[in-house]
Amino acid sequence: MRGRPVSLSFQGVTHCYGSRIALDGLDLRVPQGEVLALLGPNGAGKSTTISVLLGLVRPQRGRVEVLGSDPRRAVADGRVGAMLQSGSGIGLPPGVRVDQALRLVRKLYKRPLPLAQIVERADIGALMRRRTDRLSGGQAQRVRFAIAIAGDPEVVFLDEPTSAMDVESRQGFWRMMRDFGNEGRTVLFATHHLAEADEIADRVVVLNHGKVVADGPGATLKAAVATRRLRFVTDEPNRLVLGELDGVTELAVCGTGVSIDSLDADATIRDLVARGVPFRDLEVTGAGLEQAFVALTGCGEARARSAAAPRAADAVLGVARD
Amino acid sequence: MTDLSLVTPDLAIDDRDRASAVPRPRDGWRARLTPLLAYGGFEVGRLVRSWKFLAITVGFPVTFYLLFLGDRPAGQVVDGAVTWRVYLMVAMCSFGALVAALMAGGTRLSMERASGWARQLRITPIPAWSYVCTKVTASMLVVLPVIILVEVVGAGFGGVQLPAATWVGLTVLLWATSLPFAVLGVFIGFVVATEAAFPVVTGLMFVLGYFGGLFNPVDRMPGALQSIAHVMPSYHHDALGLAALDGQTLSLSHWLVLAGYVAVLGVAIAWKHRVEEARGLA
Repeated sequence: MRGRPVSLSFQGVTHCYGSRIALDGLDLRVPQGEVLALLGPNGAGKSTTISVLLGLVRPQRGRVEVLGSDPRRAVADGRVGAMLQSGSGIGLPPGVRVDQALRLVRKLYKRPLPLAQIVERADIGALMRRRTDRLSGGQAQRVRFAIAIAGDPEVVFLDEPTSAMDVESRQGFWRMMRDFGNEGRTVLFATHHLAEADEIADRVVVLNHGKVVADGPGATLKAAVATRRLRFVTDEPNRLVLGELDGVTELAVCGTGVSIDSLDADATIRDLVARGVPFRDLEVTGAGLEQAFVALTGCGEARARSAAAPRAADAVLGVARD
Repeated sequence: MTDLSLVTPDLAIDDRDRASAVPRPRDGWRARLTPLLAYGGFEVGRLVRSWKFLAITVGFPVTFYLLFLGDRPAGQVVDGAVTWRVYLMVAMCSFGALVAALMAGGTRLSMERASGWARQLRITPIPAWSYVCTKVTASMLVVLPVIILVEVVGAGFGGVQLPAATWVGLTVLLWATSLPFAVLGVFIGFVVATEAAFPVVTGLMFVLGYFGGLFNPVDRMPGALQSIAHVMPSYHHDALGLAALDGQTLSLSHWLVLAGYVAVLGVAIAWKHRVEEARGLA
């Protein structure tokens, strides 16, 4: 990955909406051709990151470059495509057919993709004569993807693109996007589905409170998230024995209460039984994304934050695990 | 039109950015104009294909003209030297322009902005100001045929007879001075929430129509209502048309009020845009 030109770069980018901080000194560099997932709970700063990359929001501090220039310059030059969150609407012009909207968007760019290619890539051949306000959620998302790629962009941003889709269209959508990214284009997408981030992206960046709390290949993150937390009560809280159980990464003992973070909960429990440690009230839970951040980055800051926002992180993980 | 522009100093690229930017060929005016024309054509096409929009914009002024025509003897002098049939035709041209412009902007624009499409357009290469300018231009383009249609009905059913040059002059005058209505429609689309936009548009149509003296000449109104009329853009629009037919000079005050509406509403739209941008909503 090193040696490739930098496609997107953030240097100390800070932005607040009123008193709410959305980006807090964000530093991030994305090389050309990378498929990057921005993962994080709602309000982590994912959408703001994308808005800043599109020049829709001017950050109050810091510097952002897209393809070596100001984000607005990159947009004006037609080098960027995006699928934004559309809120309640569908993000398409009401009262026109899909082909009319697509033909218009192509004309707004200097060097658009051939129409046939867009139709094929976004799999919208059957939708071309339909009116935009008569599409299902998944169909509308495919059309919006077509619009995002119509200008043959070098960089594509997708803000929770699969939120309105069922499982099947979701898979199809990611296949399309992956193909598009495989051609040397830089793709950045925001999601709160860990599984999506892991499967699709070359690299997963976890945002929380406007900061990068974890950054690495999806597989690493997934392994870290496999961490389970075991809680039980024992009359023999022997730190030495408990710390040596299979799979243990973290141990906390408080009176007779024990809390263990384990990479392999099954092995830990088998070992617990094998060593004859008496225990009761055993409870196994997902350790939460925050613990995953700690495992991934080893940074104390994430640990400190985990106390502040465990609920949001658990919600994220809950989605990821189902 | 410059006061409608949403270009802000922020849009300028500073030198650092330019130095690091990848060099690219300079665009000719043709390359710059093509996307704007494509977008303009798209918007007008959308308006014209919308039968609800057409039915209302064409239906209201024409129906009202035919309904009100029988209220008085068509030859009765109502305003200066202007007869009822002529007064009513100009008034309904004003009303038609008003209805068309508010319907073209208003609800449709508000819905479109809520749908996220306006945001999607902002991340295409066309500049931010072109969105507003295209909306205003598209409204102006649909206003023209409405004015002409009312005139045709006026000539055909109302028996209005004017020299050819006067017809042309009147049409151009009424059309050009419809700009405040077009900007007002876009303004409503920018500031009024989708659910409220239709009632607001309908209410304004009748407030501007009634108090602007389009349903009944202003000098027949009680004094208090007359002073309200004088702040209505519809009154000044109508007054310019009547003055042109009456052979009077086109009083500067009418122009100033209409230009004032364009300026104030234009600034308000630009301000709304800036606020949304700062909040990350634009």
